Formats: sequence, structure tokens, C-alpha cells
Amino acid sequence: MRRGLLAILVAVAQVAHAFSDAQVRAIASHGPWPPAFKADPSNRVSGNKDAIDLGERLFFERRFSSNGDISCSRCHLAERNWTDGEARARGLALVDRNTPSVANVRLQRWFGWDGAQDSLWAQGIRPILDPREMGSSAAQVATLMRADADLLCRYRKVFGAPLPDDDKLLVDLAKALSAFQETLASGRTAFDEFRDALLRQDAAGIAKYPAPAKRGLHIFIGRGSCSTCHAGPAFTNGEFHDTGVPFFIEPGRVDPGRHEGIKKLLSSRYNLLGPYSDDANRSGATGTKHVVLEHRNFGEFKTPSLRNLALTAPYMHNGRLATLRDVVNHYSNISPDRLHSDGEAILKPLQLSEQEAQDLVAFLQSLQDGGGNYRRKPFAADCR
Amino acid sequence: MKRWLLLALLAPAAQACELPGGAAQPVKSATTTVLFRTVPLRIGEHFAVEFAVCPTPQAVKVDAWMPDHRHGMNYKPTIAALGGGRYRAEGLMFHMAGRWEFVFEVRSGSKTERLAHSVRIE
Repeated sequence: MRRGLLAILVAVAQVAHAFSDAQVRAIASHGPWPPAFKADPSNRVSGNKDAIDLGERLFFERRFSSNGDISCSRCHLAERNWTDGEARARGLALVDRNTPSVANVRLQRWFGWDGAQDSLWAQGIRPILDPREMGSSAAQVATLMRADADLLCRYRKVFGAPLPDDDKLLVDLAKALSAFQETLASGRTAFDEFRDALLRQDAAGIAKYPAPAKRGLHIFIGRGSCSTCHAGPAFTNGEFHDTGVPFFIEPGRVDPGRHEGIKKLLSSRYNLLGPYSDDANRSGATGTKHVVLEHRNFGEFKTPSLRNLALTAPYMHNGRLATLRDVVNHYSNISPDRLHSDGEAILKPLQLSEQEAQDLVAFLQSLQDGGGNYRRKPFAADCR
Repeated sequence: MKRWLLLALLAPAAQACELPGGAAQPVKSATTTVLFRTVPLRIGEHFAVEFAVCPTPQAVKVDAWMPDHRHGMNYKPTIAALGGGRYRAEGLMFHMAGRWEFVFEVRSGSKTERLAHSVRIE
């Protein structure tokens, strides 16, 4: 009798966690992981081994900053999924936004919270020149390169000789930085194992995925509509949305987000339509050519990837929310009054129960890998 | 008799609306037919729309939006006229799953028509 009751309970539990065909397709769309490498056509050294090596050195190089003390790795820490744990980044001064992760960054279409850059190499130039971050210049970077025999040797191995003018040299170094960052990939997660087990109908594999995560996944792809924007293998559609997070930086100063980002993009000489792209027929510049500036872009910020997000607190473009639970509560209780009146009609308060909120957090935590692929190696000045 | 003859003469012209190169989706009003296909159509990727408009209009635009979400695309397509009432629009992107609506705006003389077609993208 007891055994029969147990079997019924197990069957009920299985039904409760079952996914419809449409849900299985939705889950399948979040993989496979990892995606295959695809070289960046705008960067002639994308995927180049020597460029990756040079880029890695540059990533940790502090001498490019105006005070000689700030490198990319100041804010992008491997152990924090390439973020810094601060609400807002701090270089030479406090920056307006939260440090975005550079894990899986090669999969993005736009770079930065406002998408003001359309390539990873153009994004690499921005913090070098920003007076609040590294506060440097093309001339300072070129002077250092010309004086450092090892870096110069490595540059020539990748790009050849002679050295170009300062601006072109800065772009080349940013392309090496980009080649390195393209290698920063997060690993497989409990969710990926579940997804693949589901597709091959592997009952044992499906059963390994915890029940709270399964229930949270139901909310994520269903009632929560989270996957509307957090779409695809990287859990981002790569586009921009107003999520009701206040965009006042401080009293009297606002962050215009994507609205300003599009203006910066289109006026930048480093964009994919400009002279520094190595993509001769501009095949990768379709977005830059066709992007349109609209009033609704004001206060929109890029949808971040959710992979490894348990390591990237605090959250949102300004680090306003401290924990994953705070993020879930934000979407559970969001006030439509905080959204643009002429903006998208996507977000509504989810009004999650305590159990549902916990389940959604459990699902988000299941997007964490076993430690990523990066291992820092010692740098030797041994280039010949 | 004359009326039937006239209709018979007109019929081949109406049937001549075609878009060479494969299957195409028709969208019709009382006076206009649009045949279109997407090349390719995947969420989060730029795609093109090849289309024919019959009869050939003076001007045409194509756009798309999500009526349920009350937003359009983040990109403005460019349209190239290929001749004979055929066109190719580049630079469209559906950046999220759900119901999208293509809108073809066709102008002939002083008249502008909007022909819409819904698609659900997963």
C-alpha cells in the first residue's frame, strides 16, 4: 500500500516537472554550450595564437594607465567571472556603471551597457582613453610599446613591422586584447547537462537536475517571460531594455543609456563602418548600418548574460541590487509607473510567491559553471 | 460578352505577380498583392526580405513590430528596388521571440496602403 502511494507521488512529481514540446524547444534554444568559435571578421588577428598571448599580457599591463597602476584586470577579475564585486567600477575615479563581465564576450553584438561600441576591439580602446578609468592616450601607449623590447617583439610577431602611427597602434593593441578576451569562456553548467539530457530523453540525466531549479526554469520560460530577453545560449538577446531601474546617477545627473550609446557609436571613428575594421566588405557591420535612434532608447541598457551570474553581484547597470534574490524581487514587484510610457509593454509585476522566488533563484544558480577555462600563467620576457 | 473578354484579358496580368526563387508568402488587399520571403529568419540575427508588389507601386516601405509588446525593431531596413516590382530589404532583426507583424506600406498615386502579416517566432 505504502509502495503504491509512493509510486503515485513520484508520478505526480514527474508530471509537475514535465515540460511540454513547446517548453522543450524553449529550453533547447538556450544551448548548445559551449558554442563553436567564430573569428571576428573585423579583427585580422582574431583567433591568432600570438595575438592571444600578447593580448593576455596587455590585459594585465598596468603601465598603459596614466598613473601606471590600473590594468583591465583591476575591474575584470577571473574569480568573479570577470567582474569586480563593486556596485560601480572604479579606475582613476568612480565610473557611472557596474563592471560588465567579459566572460563569453565574443558572443555579443554590442559592447558596454549602452552598446556604444560594435566590436570587442573598439570596446577595449574605450577604458584606456576614459579619464575615469585608465586615463591614457594613444601617444602614451605607443611610447610605452616602443620602449619595451619584449612587447615590441610580440607586437611585430603578430602584426609585422614597421610600427604604424599611434592611433593605428592603439587599435592593433586593442585587437590583440580582443583576441585574448575571445578565449574567456564559461564552462558547462548543471542547466546545460539537464538541457542535453532532456533532448536525448535521458531520464537519469533529467533526474539529476534539482527540482527547485526545474520549477524555476518553468517560471523562467513561462509565466516570468524572462527568456523573452534573456534568450539563446548566452541567456541574452544582446539588445537594450528599460527594466525600471532608476537611471539617475546622482541628483541632477542621469544616465541616458542606449540613447547616448547609439550617438557615440555612430560618431566613433572606431566603429565597424570606419577605417580600422579589417572586414573589407563590412559584412559584420549590418547592425551599425541599420541601427535606429528612438526616444524610447533613453534609459535602456543591454540585457546581460546570465551565465555565472551568481558570481557577478551586485546587479543591474548601476549595481543597485545586491543579491540574486533582490533581482527576482525587483521583477516580482516592478512598478509599471517606472517604465517609459511610450516604451515596450513587456514587463509586468510577476507577483511571485516566496516558494516561486526561491525556485527562480535556484534556476539562476544552476547557470554557474565549475570554474571557467582561464588559468593565469606567469609572463616571461623571452620574445625573440 | 465584351465584359467576359475583358476579364479574360486581365486575368493573366493578375496571375503574373510572382517572386522567383522559391516559396513566397502572399499578403493581399483588394487592389494590391505583396509576395515575400525572409532570408533567413532566426531570432537575434539580421535578415533580409525579398518581396514583389503587384501592381508595381511608386514607393514602398517595409517594417515590423510586436503588437503585444508595443515595440518595433531596433533597426531600420534599407530597401533596394530590383525592377519589375521586386525589392530586397536588408537589415531587419527580430530580437525576441513572440508574435511579430510585418507591415508593407505601398504608395500608388495619392493612395497609401498598409498590408500586414503576422508571424510567430520561437
